[in-house]
Amino acid sequence: MTADTIIAARGVTRRFGGLVALDAIDLDVPKGIVQAVIGPNGSGKTTLLNALSGASHADAGSIRIGGEEIFRLKPHRIARLGLARTFQNIRIFDNLSVLENVKVAAACNRPTRFFDILTSSARHRQSESDIDLAAREALATIGLAQRADDRATQLPYAQRRLLEIARALASKPNVLLLDEPAAGMNMTESMTLLDTIAKLKGRGITILLVEHNVRLVMGISDRVTVLDFGKKIAEGTPSEIQRNPLVIEAYLGRRHRHA
Amino acid sequence: MRLEPTSWPILAAGVAATLAIPLITQDGYIIQLLNIAILNAIVVLGLNFVTGWAGQINFGQAAFYGLGAYTTAIASKAGLPWITTPLLSAVVVIAASLMLGLPTMRLRTYYLAMTTIGFGEIIRLIIVHWEPVTGGTSGLRAIPGISVFGVGPQGQAQHYYLLVAALALAVTVAMRVRRSALGRAMIATRDSEIAAEQSGVDTTRTKLLAFMIGAVYAGLAGCLYASSIRFISPDSFSGTQAILLMTMLIVGGMGSIAGSIGGAIALTLLPEALRFLGQWYLVLYGLGVIAVIVLAPGGLASVASLSQWRRAGVR
Repeated sequence: MTADTIIAARGVTRRFGGLVALDAIDLDVPKGIVQAVIGPNGSGKTTLLNALSGASHADAGSIRIGGEEIFRLKPHRIARLGLARTFQNIRIFDNLSVLENVKVAAACNRPTRFFDILTSSARHRQSESDIDLAAREALATIGLAQRADDRATQLPYAQRRLLEIARALASKPNVLLLDEPAAGMNMTESMTLLDTIAKLKGRGITILLVEHNVRLVMGISDRVTVLDFGKKIAEGTPSEIQRNPLVIEAYLGRRHRHA
Repeated sequence: MRLEPTSWPILAAGVAATLAIPLITQDGYIIQLLNIAILNAIVVLGLNFVTGWAGQINFGQAAFYGLGAYTTAIASKAGLPWITTPLLSAVVVIAASLMLGLPTMRLRTYYLAMTTIGFGEIIRLIIVHWEPVTGGTSGLRAIPGISVFGVGPQGQAQHYYLLVAALALAVTVAMRVRRSALGRAMIATRDSEIAAEQSGVDTTRTKLLAFMIGAVYAGLAGCLYASSIRFISPDSFSGTQAILLMTMLIVGGMGSIAGSIGGAIALTLLPEALRFLGQWYLVLYGLGVIAVIVLAPGGLASVASLSQWRRAGVR
């Protein structure tokens, strides 16, 4: 592990009963790149992402984010260390407005004291206005600023995905995990998403992208990791991966046969 | 939650009507009933933090109500000055809510509901069986009234104004919490615990805080109940009462401040208004509650906000 490695995972293993969903995965992600994790259905992509974010802990292994060991840490502690994520099956806060959804994450590293809320102290009002500013900025980056006051449930599907990215962004993360961000999006929406990912990379955020759509991944990623049956079978640049016979057999090959 | 400029006249009219009630009716019974309705509204507002916002089913709210009432009754009958009783009640319910909340806030849905039912039963049994202190099933009478350095409300009407002021304070605190990071964290926890956690929300702490704030609302309402009604008995804080409080929240509208108040007042007054029906009042009452739940699952508050949206659509 070098100083420039922001995610360093060693021997990450996750079992569901008799099924080994992740089998001693090692993963190094250098700072500031877009790294994709691809693989057929059930290969362990989302499980890996859940292990990294703490949503569903690994059974064994070591995970360091920016040098800090986060294995078995509660998800909110991992979030406060600068790791944010989105979900494959969208999880927005239905009973909050679009802006409030983002504000939840913008409050990430600002402790609230009940006494400050009661008295509406100067410190509290300052913190709330900082949160508001950060949330609006995140919405503007994603292009949802004009929907700020709508109820989150009023957004169409693709914009809900964007809202999740805005929410993740509002916590000012160093690492952003995107779980199938283009799922259910049409061509135009996917292209806009790619622009957004490029923009976030330009801000120095390291992005780990789990994607089903291989073509989408190849264009945007600096490095690609391929999982199959919970094992890492290949890693490299997109062109290396496209030429790798193991990958073609496990993933692209099977796909071509169906097509 | 944002108040539209158009809703200010409605609010002003509501406040004026509320303050005018004791001038219109001199009937002590009606005012007494309204006083109980206001106290219930404060307890349901407290329940709204835990259940309406943080999404945790809590059937222990009546027990916290009772703990506050009995703490106040026992302390003031023992000769402690009234001014100490809100503090004592708050300390007792905070301690009890921590004892119940710390181990149970990791539980979910049915398990938490069952634990809080058990807690309510334990408190009720203690009240019933610890006769020398609590008066057992016959309760405690002649509880000293509210008095701060010899000054206190006299008669039903003055108590009414005092309780309206207490409710206004309870609403102010609830609105401040709703507009703060804590309020948003509570609602986020209800909507998706995992997404809230991954956004940096400590959901266990958030649920515990909601639970404690709710308990303090109930405890302080209990304190005011004991020293303004001046008679308490275990029936007022039983499991049936806990279910009634939950019904008030559901009928009024989960997560809505106005709904919590509306539900509490409607369901406190309705049985009395339907008394002329004799035994049949329960049938009508039950049908009314079912009608609201079926026709407006979001409660009375959702009916109000729906008509607001329609108006916005026309504009």
